[in-house]
Amino acid sequence: MPVRGHVGSDYERLRPEFRVIQNPWAPSERVMLVPSISPDVALIHAIAATEDGMLLLDHMEDDALLAQASRTVVASTERVVSSQELRRSGEGVILEGIHVTALVEAPGGALPTLVRGAYALDADRIREYIAAATDDATFKRYLDRHIYG
Amino acid sequence: MACVIAREVRDGETVAVGTLAAIPACGVLLAHFTHAPRATVIIINHPDYWPFRGGSKEFYDFAQRGKLDLFFLSGGQIDRHGNLNLITVGDHDRPDVRFPGGAGAAMLYYLPHRVVVFRADHSPRIFVERVDTVTSPGSTPSDVVRPGGPWKTVTPLCVFRYDRGSAALVVESLHPGVSREELGRRTGFAPTYDGAAGVTPEPTDAELELLRTRVKDTVARIYPRFAMTAFAR
Repeated sequence: MPVRGHVGSDYERLRPEFRVIQNPWAPSERVMLVPSISPDVALIHAIAATEDGMLLLDHMEDDALLAQASRTVVASTERVVSSQELRRSGEGVILEGIHVTALVEAPGGALPTLVRGAYALDADRIREYIAAATDDATFKRYLDRHIYG
Repeated sequence: MACVIAREVRDGETVAVGTLAAIPACGVLLAHFTHAPRATVIIINHPDYWPFRGGSKEFYDFAQRGKLDLFFLSGGQIDRHGNLNLITVGDHDRPDVRFPGGAGAAMLYYLPHRVVVFRADHSPRIFVERVDTVTSPGSTPSDVVRPGGPWKTVTPLCVFRYDRGSAALVVESLHPGVSREELGRRTGFAPTYDGAAGVTPEPTDAELELLRTRVKDTVARIYPRFAMTAFAR
C-alpha cells in the first residue's frame, strides 16, 4: 500500500522491502509502497462480546483493524452479553463475529493495561513487569504471583 | 516552552498533538483558551480532544490527507539540518542506543503544513551535527510529495527557525538569561543566528495563571504525573 512521506529518510536503506515508485497518476512524484502486515494470529481483548463472537472494542485502539488483517483471531472479553446489550453500548466500536476465530471470557484480561470504563492502567504493575522481565527466574515469579496465583 | 508553542498556534487552524507530548499539549491548550478559540484541537487519547472513532488509523489517514496545519515531533537526536532520529544511535544492527522508533514520524514531518520540533532538554548529545539515523529528514528532493515540513524547534534554551534556503536551523531567539556562549557549549553544532535574533518574550502573568489552572487540569486527564510535577510555582 502507498504511504505518504518516508521518501528521503533512512527507511529506504533500512527496510529493503519498502519500494519507491513513480506515482502513476503524477509521474513527476515519487511515493513509497510498503507491504501489508498479515499476522498469523491476533490476540485482542474486548470490553464485551456476544456468544457468537461480536466484539465491543475500544474506539481509540486499532484492534478492529488488527483483527481484519490477521488470519486467526483469538478474542478475550471482560464479559459475555446479549447482542441487544452490545448494540446499545454508546462507547466503543463493534466488530462483527465473522472476523473472530475463538472467544474466551477473561475478566481482567487486559491487566496491567486498561479497559476504558472498567479499570485503569496499573502503572506500578507495569514497572514490576519491566523489572521482572529482565530474567527468566524473576519473570517466572511474576507469572506465579499475578497470573497463575 | 508551552508559551512559545502557544504563539505558533493560529486561530481557526487544525492542530494535533501526538503521544508523549505533554508540553505541546499545554501550549496548544493555552492558545485555544486565549487567542485561538476557533482552532480544531486534536490531542491523542484525550477524552475531550480526540475526534476519531477508528483508532490511530483514522488519525493517520486524516494527516495523510494533508488536513493538519500544525503538528509536533521530537527526536532522540536532532541535527543542524532539522533531521530527526527516533531509531538508533551507532550501528543500526548493534546500536549503542535504541530509541522507541518512528511510528508515524516519517509521514508526519511531511504532511502537516508546519511542524514544531520540541525537546525538554538541550545537550550536545541530543543536538548533534549529524544524526546517526534519519527517521525524518529536514529536507527532501523536489520530486517527493511534501506539502509541509519543519517550522520551528523549541528547547529550554532557545527557539530555532528552520531556514528552507540553507536547509538548516537558525537561532531566532534565546530565552531570557541564556547567553550565546551557553547555547554554543550545550549544542553539538555551532549555532548560526538570525540577524535579528533577540530574546524570547517572557510568559505573561495571565499565561502563567492559565497554565497553572485550566491547562493543568485539562492535561491531567492524560498526563496525571506531569500535571502533578510540572507546574510548581
